[in-house]
Amino acid sequence: MTDRTTAPPPGPPRPYHFPHVTRKTLGNGLEVLIAENHAAPLASVRALVRSGADHDTAEVAGLASLTADLLDEGAGGRDGVGIAEELGLLGGSLGTGADWDASYISIDVLSRNAGAAMEIFADVVRRADLPAAALERVRSERLMELLQQRDEPAVIAAKRFSGLLYGTGAYGNSIGGNPESVARIAMEHVRGFYGQHYIPNGTAIIAAGDLDAAQFLATIESLFGDWPRGQEPPRPVVNPQRVEASRIYLIDRPTAVQSEIRIGHVGVARDTADYFPLSVMNALLGGVFNSRINLNLRERHGYTYGARSTFAFRRQPGPFVVSAPVRNEVTRESIEEVFAELRRIRTGDVEDRELADTKNYLMGVFPATVQSSGDIAGRLLDMELYGLPHDYFDRYRDNIAAVGKDDIAAVARKYIDPDRALIVIVGNAQQIREPLGSLGMPIHEMDIDGKVA
Amino acid sequence: MLDLTEYRLDNGLRVVLNEDHSAPLVAINLWYHVGSKNERPGRTGFAHLFEHMLFSGSAHVGNNEHFRYVQSVGGVLNGTTFFDRTNYFETLPSNYLALGLWLESDRMGFFLPALTQEKLDIQREVVKEERRQRYDNVPYGTAFERLLNLAYDPDYSYHWPTIGSMEDLGAASLDDVRDFFATWYRPDNCTLTLVGDFAPSEARELVQQYFGDIPAGGAFPKFDLQRQPLGGERREVFRSPIQLPRIYRLYHLPGMGAPEWIHADLLATILSGDKASRLEKALVLDKQIATDVAAYVLPTESAGMLMLQATAKENVPVGEVEAAIDAEIDRVAGSGVTEEELTRAKTRSEVEFAHQLENYDTRADVIGMMATYFGDATMTQRWLEPYQAATAAEIAATTRAHLGNGERVTIHFLPENE
Repeated sequence: MTDRTTAPPPGPPRPYHFPHVTRKTLGNGLEVLIAENHAAPLASVRALVRSGADHDTAEVAGLASLTADLLDEGAGGRDGVGIAEELGLLGGSLGTGADWDASYISIDVLSRNAGAAMEIFADVVRRADLPAAALERVRSERLMELLQQRDEPAVIAAKRFSGLLYGTGAYGNSIGGNPESVARIAMEHVRGFYGQHYIPNGTAIIAAGDLDAAQFLATIESLFGDWPRGQEPPRPVVNPQRVEASRIYLIDRPTAVQSEIRIGHVGVARDTADYFPLSVMNALLGGVFNSRINLNLRERHGYTYGARSTFAFRRQPGPFVVSAPVRNEVTRESIEEVFAELRRIRTGDVEDRELADTKNYLMGVFPATVQSSGDIAGRLLDMELYGLPHDYFDRYRDNIAAVGKDDIAAVARKYIDPDRALIVIVGNAQQIREPLGSLGMPIHEMDIDGKVA
Repeated sequence: MLDLTEYRLDNGLRVVLNEDHSAPLVAINLWYHVGSKNERPGRTGFAHLFEHMLFSGSAHVGNNEHFRYVQSVGGVLNGTTFFDRTNYFETLPSNYLALGLWLESDRMGFFLPALTQEKLDIQREVVKEERRQRYDNVPYGTAFERLLNLAYDPDYSYHWPTIGSMEDLGAASLDDVRDFFATWYRPDNCTLTLVGDFAPSEARELVQQYFGDIPAGGAFPKFDLQRQPLGGERREVFRSPIQLPRIYRLYHLPGMGAPEWIHADLLATILSGDKASRLEKALVLDKQIATDVAAYVLPTESAGMLMLQATAKENVPVGEVEAAIDAEIDRVAGSGVTEEELTRAKTRSEVEFAHQLENYDTRADVIGMMATYFGDATMTQRWLEPYQAATAAEIAATTRAHLGNGERVTIHFLPENE
């Protein structure tokens, strides 16, 4: 008879090692990182350009992402269709984009064709045509996208939350810009951004896959070695708004059958010395399925399909935010439960078992998150973007293991402040306005563009 | 070539092993051959609600403990429900293989003793929130539901989406849960796939130890779906709070894996996906009347579907977008596709399949699908063969037969004030 009454014990742990990384800094300052991974006949290549929407001014918000959108519209004598045709025959696909901290160009390709794909990649990174006709089309597509977002409650909530926290500066405007700023972006802005920020000494080329590292390094050197160095731009500084007392911003969406709730404030930058205790604390609070906030709102109360908390670790302090879509009738109750969890985590009330579970999760899950070449490239990209030490992944387990119960309460008290939080709700104001009153916080109503009534 | 070992336990459980030591992980994946198509009217959404229940504990695993056991050792897990199947999966550090098998076998064999009304009531609310979040509170959220309603008559159980209706979710009872479990959740209706870092002899022993004593069920209920032809086009105009009109189109195909389904999959790649694809080139780049287009086939067993959608730019009549789509379809039906287009589509299929096999978890899922739909896990090794063999003439013929026969569903999603 099989004994089913207790969980079977584990076998002896098997070792895991992050793939070896070949690194080189070329004479022009370009960083190159290559990791061999022969598990599948695929390769993933990324260019990390260390400037993103954080460089956008309010005037031309959306410039970094629009510039990235234009990169695949023509390069090296091919137009946009030609790039897609050529890459398609190689079994490759090209992606471009920007977030707050950086811009990205990526190719995923059958590894047997990686060399040929790199020629196209180099043209796109170094010699994009940025055709004026494409700007008009891409701008019009962006304006349509912004228009569509006016009906997406999660997007509205995220935009208004960022705008309230950071104003119109870096991290505050939407990465995609707004209709007025996108309309203002001219060819000279795009060429200016590309010329100023797409420079070898601000860029890293990262490759992972079924490749020969030495040979691939030689390919990269031949394609990028003569890329002339540029002047590294100064990094813009984020300017978060100070919140003196918690308050609610209510955005009416008369057709809403759920309230999209965002609760939080400014968090902390990726380079904080408290990164590991913060990661453990947030995972326990709301970072994973079995965290307190999700178990409370979803599994205990059935208020939501999923609730979570996040520290957006960026180069400068990104937001800490709890997000939950809940049905209209339990909007106030959901906010009360979130605040109760935020207060409780600050008291040091942490059970040994939940701390052990959370740490074991973070330590154990790493190999499962870096199986594919794309995953490995993504990890190397983080390492480059945030300047993590070369032995970061080897020391990760020890760093998590060192987090103790006292550390949880300490970082919770230091980085979570329920008395100075912004609450943004996109929902059916007629149904939820009155119940919200009993929370005892000022309620400001604003429209979806952020204009306060 | 993927190394696969396929066998059955005495109770009918199909087991597929794929040993691979590149990472110290094991993916455990169970495909139960039951989905929303096995529901009956009045209880739509039940198969998916049931999937939620299966995470709420079993005889030896407490409520929420399934998640805790997996996460606390560094595992990741989930489950999904679709028309034809329900899957449950976890990826664990490989030294925890026994833990995963213990958890999965406990809920396969010993689920009912832990069932309570309170758990059902909570998960019912969670699923209702899932429906609100993903269908009712987002633009175009009910498009798929509306397409299915038109594409299939009420007696064909692809008529409703897996999420089901709010009313039916409210009606689900504990007896429904018990009946559904007894009817479908049994070893002879399941494929268990293991991929990763294990010794096959040891894995076989553990599988036997944990699943061997779970009894098979009796006969399965008679289940026969016969789809009646639409007898022409079915159209609908639907107004809702959106900004830009969008056209949705559905064409009927034979089920997944049939030659015409494979042709349609290649056709979908030729029609959309990058700047060189026909619809994107015509509608987005040249005419600039749409902001986005998409074409894809669904991985469905009993009947196949090719879906098209395109969002019209502001002030562009959706009829103009529809006419442009039809012109491109007609062009394929009439003049076919080029050899280069076909080569690109085949290469795309090869890459996408390679990506699916790259990670243990998605690989196990593909293997489980092949075993469940085709009764043969080694289909995974041969899956790309009909793609490579397809000809331009076959693509055109399938386009004429299934997109040019007048049998189609079209929905215009329009803003409320238009």
